[in-house]
Amino acid sequence: MPGTTPPPQPPRPPAEGRGADPAAPATFEDLLSDCVHCGFCLPTCPTYVLWGEEMDSPRGRIHLMGQSRQDGVLTGTAVRHFDNCLGCLACVSACPSGVRYDALIETARADVEREHERPLGERLLRAAVFALFPYRGRLRLLRGPLRGYQASGLSRLLRRSGLLDRLPPSLAAMERLAPPLRPAPRLPERVRARGRRRATVGMLTGCVQGAFFPQVNTATARVLASDGCEVVIPRRQGCCGALSAHAGRAEEAARFARSTVAAFERAGVDVVVVNSAGCGSTMKHYADVLANAAGGDGWARRAERLGAKVRDVTEFLADLGPAAERHPLPIRAAYHDACHLSHGQGVREQPRDLLRAVPELELVDVANPDICCGSAGIYNLLRPEPAAELGRRKSADVRATGAPLLVAGNPGCALQIAAAMGADGEAPAVAHTVQVLDASIRGLPPAHLLGGRRGG
Amino acid sequence: MGETTRAQGAVPPRGGAAEAAGRALAGAAPDGGAAVRPGTPADAVGGVRPAYVAAPADPAAAAAVLAVAAEHALTVVPRGNGTKIDWGGPPRDCDLVLETTSLTGIEHAVGDLVVRAGAGVPVADLQAALGSAGQRLAVDTVVPGSTVGGMVATGLSGPRRILHGPVRDLVIGMTVLRADGVAARSGGAVVKNVAGYDLGKLHTGAYGTLGVIVSVTFRLHPVPPALRLLRAAAPGPEALREWAAAVLHSPTAPSAVELDWPPEGDPELAVLLEGAAAGLDARGAAVAAVLPEPPHHADALPPGWGELPGAPGDTLLRVVAPPPEAVRAAAVLRDAGRARGILAAVRGSLGTGVLHAAVPADAPPEAVAAVVAAARAALAGAPGGAVTVPHAAPPVRAAGLDLWGEVPGAALMRAIKDRFDPGHRLSPGRLMEGI
Amino acid sequence: MPVPVGPEALVPRLRAICGDAGVLTDPAQRRTYESDGLTYHAELPGVVVLPTSTAQVAAVVRLCAEEGVPFVPRGAGTGLSAGALPRSDGVLVVTSRMRRILEVDVEARCAVVQPGVANLDVTRAAAPHGYYYAPDPSSQQVCSVGGNIAENSGGAHCLKYGFTVNHVLGLEIVTPAGDVVRLGGKVAEAPGYDLIGAFIGSEGTLGIATEITVRLLRAPERVRTLLAAFPTMDAGGRAVSAVIAAGVLPAAIEMMDALAIEAAEAAVACHYPKGAGAVLIVELDGPAADVDAQFAAVTALCREAGATELRTATDAAERARIWKGRKSAFAAVGRISPSYIVQDGVVPRTALPEVLRRIADLSAESGIRVANVFHAGDGNLHPLVLFDDAEPGAAERAAEVSGAILDLCVEHGGSITGEHGVGVDKACHMPDMFSPADLATMDLFRRAIDPAGIANPEKLLPTPRLCGEPPGVRTDVHPLVASGEAELF
Repeated sequence: MPGTTPPPQPPRPPAEGRGADPAAPATFEDLLSDCVHCGFCLPTCPTYVLWGEEMDSPRGRIHLMGQSRQDGVLTGTAVRHFDNCLGCLACVSACPSGVRYDALIETARADVEREHERPLGERLLRAAVFALFPYRGRLRLLRGPLRGYQASGLSRLLRRSGLLDRLPPSLAAMERLAPPLRPAPRLPERVRARGRRRATVGMLTGCVQGAFFPQVNTATARVLASDGCEVVIPRRQGCCGALSAHAGRAEEAARFARSTVAAFERAGVDVVVVNSAGCGSTMKHYADVLANAAGGDGWARRAERLGAKVRDVTEFLADLGPAAERHPLPIRAAYHDACHLSHGQGVREQPRDLLRAVPELELVDVANPDICCGSAGIYNLLRPEPAAELGRRKSADVRATGAPLLVAGNPGCALQIAAAMGADGEAPAVAHTVQVLDASIRGLPPAHLLGGRRGG
Repeated sequence: MGETTRAQGAVPPRGGAAEAAGRALAGAAPDGGAAVRPGTPADAVGGVRPAYVAAPADPAAAAAVLAVAAEHALTVVPRGNGTKIDWGGPPRDCDLVLETTSLTGIEHAVGDLVVRAGAGVPVADLQAALGSAGQRLAVDTVVPGSTVGGMVATGLSGPRRILHGPVRDLVIGMTVLRADGVAARSGGAVVKNVAGYDLGKLHTGAYGTLGVIVSVTFRLHPVPPALRLLRAAAPGPEALREWAAAVLHSPTAPSAVELDWPPEGDPELAVLLEGAAAGLDARGAAVAAVLPEPPHHADALPPGWGELPGAPGDTLLRVVAPPPEAVRAAAVLRDAGRARGILAAVRGSLGTGVLHAAVPADAPPEAVAAVVAAARAALAGAPGGAVTVPHAAPPVRAAGLDLWGEVPGAALMRAIKDRFDPGHRLSPGRLMEGI
Repeated sequence: MPVPVGPEALVPRLRAICGDAGVLTDPAQRRTYESDGLTYHAELPGVVVLPTSTAQVAAVVRLCAEEGVPFVPRGAGTGLSAGALPRSDGVLVVTSRMRRILEVDVEARCAVVQPGVANLDVTRAAAPHGYYYAPDPSSQQVCSVGGNIAENSGGAHCLKYGFTVNHVLGLEIVTPAGDVVRLGGKVAEAPGYDLIGAFIGSEGTLGIATEITVRLLRAPERVRTLLAAFPTMDAGGRAVSAVIAAGVLPAAIEMMDALAIEAAEAAVACHYPKGAGAVLIVELDGPAADVDAQFAAVTALCREAGATELRTATDAAERARIWKGRKSAFAAVGRISPSYIVQDGVVPRTALPEVLRRIADLSAESGIRVANVFHAGDGNLHPLVLFDDAEPGAAERAAEVSGAILDLCVEHGGSITGEHGVGVDKACHMPDMFSPADLATMDLFRRAIDPAGIANPEKLLPTPRLCGEPPGVRTDVHPLVASGEAELF
């Protein structure tokens, strides 16, 4: 290196004022060059925490993306390291340069899906995951004592893929956590506001949430109604497309996004309330999901309009302010930041504020809040070992709080952590933030949330 | 460590060669820039009488003298005011004592809190000059009369090191004459500086074995507006250890937490607080709160504060211990002495675990050796613990006491010595075996 | 001296030492290690190893020594002087898997850590006991303690508390020969030469620290953080001088100019006062009464110097917000400029106003914007030289301005680096600050520890290959040079 002149650093187009036309969308290369290689993302990256190697850090993955673009070759090595990413977006929060790693990894994954031929086993597993998860009806078949029997009715693909072999630990956890399988009261299309109507909101019921945690949806509707919202729950909504988008299945994601956009447009609401962090995070960026997809730019505008209406339920409730009285709930509760809520949507304080407003509830933080629990959508199915290791770490941090109740804003996190804690001791009760609010508003005793556990 | 270039035992000048060397030294610096005279018994270094004593008037003359010394393979021992000239091991040989007392000059950059001082400047003069500007070099007078060069070369730090660090932490730049007389500078005139190796660290405490310190640049601190010294006698070492730990764990930010244990009697804890006068009562009360009885307090330092224990000429032991182990090591040392009829005085910093013990100069060498051995054994399991003998009374020295013990990294130190002073002509043997 | 072999020839033996997962040979993987935080310098490492223990590091280095293969140590790769620039003919030894905090010894007020532990994690481990680790480089949440050792890292609070070198009690190092040597321990001053002091800041050229005992400080009774806005940099500079002249030694005095404020605002929404020409962050800590007295004095002095707004952090969250703007400033500048050079130079504090004016002149003359973020208390400048590399000639002009700023530092009796280190990046600037004899003497030290020259070669000191032959003829030939034992530059 003939280091005679000091270093012009590699180009770094600013996030604002990029190129001649500030309004022009940033190209992938622009986004790549935003990274100044400072490394601030490293300690927040779960895989770097696990393995301590550059290629499995956001900075390293961005470097691999740059290599691929530069060389015009997508190596199997790069794919492996992209696959290792949980997509937790902790790096986005940590980045002082404003690098949009979320956009980068989704594009990189779409490249992988388009250009990279995976081994047969991997292909089958992924196909099976995406044949199952986005569909509430199919997920329901996996539940309950009749699982084995019912599952036999699932497609041949699912059985060949080996997915079912990976599911049992998670399923067992779901079974332990989810209430006994009985037909959850189906939510009506419209729930009236209690008292004076303060807002009319749409509500996403989600796929996993709907299948495994219908009670969270019920609680969401009840809390919204209690605080004066008329809740519109479009019947014809399905999966929001988040799982597909995170996995680089761009066309599939776009398909789900379009139908979700259409469903809520028809509902004619000002706000779309979402109680699942991963869904909300993607829906807020629907414009990105549909930007490069087929279907004309009419969709892009519609997506952007809908995306702007999306609020996490805690974000919305905190803005709205309470109407219904909160009754005392003497519980020590640990709050877990779901990645797609804290990093994906920047929603950290609102759920905490809502919980602190519950009389006699003692809220404690979990150490290392920025580190993902390993659930990460379908990551724990595709990469079970690192997912389990991250679950163990999170489990230790949660256990250290001594709280008998773990509150989270995402169904996957709660499952993952409780399963890990159950594996090496007693698992705490888990609840969604809105379930705690629901219990408080309804004046239910702590036992309602805790089962047989003591209030701490 | 790869190839070594030990050129031990450079042939010393004798007879005609010695005269030639003397003439060359006298002519080393033009215009009488370096007064050269024959050595006298009073010039002896650790019992070794030098052939010559040269007193260069400035750094250039000193460099010229060293160049001549190199040419004639003379062994050289630098000397300031000579307050610690009999410290360390006796030099294996000493042809020339190089006196640094004329290397004076103080450049005080007041607004930058930095001073550059010649090696020959008495520390007391330096402090007086700095004090007039409301600043100080945050070291205590450990040995009165020391020059800047002597203080740095022996690396002696006093009680206040727990807040501002030992001497080496205050040195930000240094100019040193190498064995061949070439001047080499490291560090700089600004506090924050990481350009190049910080060779000043190596020379601090090196006893002049790697070069001759010509001038030193220090970082300074403002003189605090007020001070309070709290003293309390402890019923025994264990109580004192607990008190010290409690004071150190308190947020009172003491400038010194000292042990003073006279040859006979109870150990005493001294806590120095410095800062805003308005805060001293509250801080003093916080210190008193960890003591069973109210301590004595004073608003000025007593005479002799920070000085070494014992009397001049005593054999001096230096105990370096993890702070929690320091008092225990001192107790072991004293008990071992008492069992052999030796009463040792101990003083030093409990905050850093660096203590000095004085053993009377007339103590029997075997007994001193036993005391040292006992103290070393007491610290055997303590990470980094060490007992050295900075000064050995002549009989102890003559008896061949191992002054340094096992020094970790000794092989690296020898390798450095071999590179800096391949002829082993600078203060040979004063620091450690082979150095 | 063995005939050097290529690093690839070492792979089977490296695998035997570090295991398959501890040796990276895949080119795509190795490429992610091609640079540290200074990406201008990049080179594909021959092999990358990720040891997990001292024994592995020692075995790797011993193998390198036996085969004459150079090695380069690397921590978290956040350095800004290309000190961890790999070599294609060498082994990159990465300590990122050695990240256990081995012990927090409250009674001895120290912690024992592995080199890959992040700086901030030491404080996190000590905090429950009421202690902290003082050195706090801006990258403290990610930079490793081992890297801090190599660079003698400072940080905002080194004005009062000093640098890494002032806070290390013990080191276990692997020498360039592959020997494991323990220096110091839980003690303040070990006998003999201060090898710890000389090792710290040696930029990986003397070996690899594999275990570090750091001093912990008691958390201060009170901390007060003040944010003061000034209309101009001059006014801010006057306030700094006045504070120091008043005999106050704050824990930190940091200054940012308007451009830097703009960048920080864009990055982390730190809400510094709008329209300020400069902001000063002054942090005081210590016993409550002292802090309160000093705080009153500092506030008054800032007002006298023309402060337009003064804000005081009243809790930890506000304090963190004030600091967030400052600590993210480097990377944040990416938001206001396509490209930039981070410079690191030091001037005597009293020369600050003059040097800042000269920097402004340089900027005006060249048309190159310069954002200033710096540790005002100790005169450590971090000018950020902004340019758009799409504009022809801009990079060259920026490089000239950046170089001229370093010249200004040296001219005013300062230093070419206050904390980023020399590395490859500034090796050729060393002769600006040191004479050939100074440099030759430093090389004596290096060769004493690394006679074979395999530890991070061509870093820290200039070499003809890097910098060309220096002009002029030397008169001071050291005996070692005369005998061919050592070389001059």
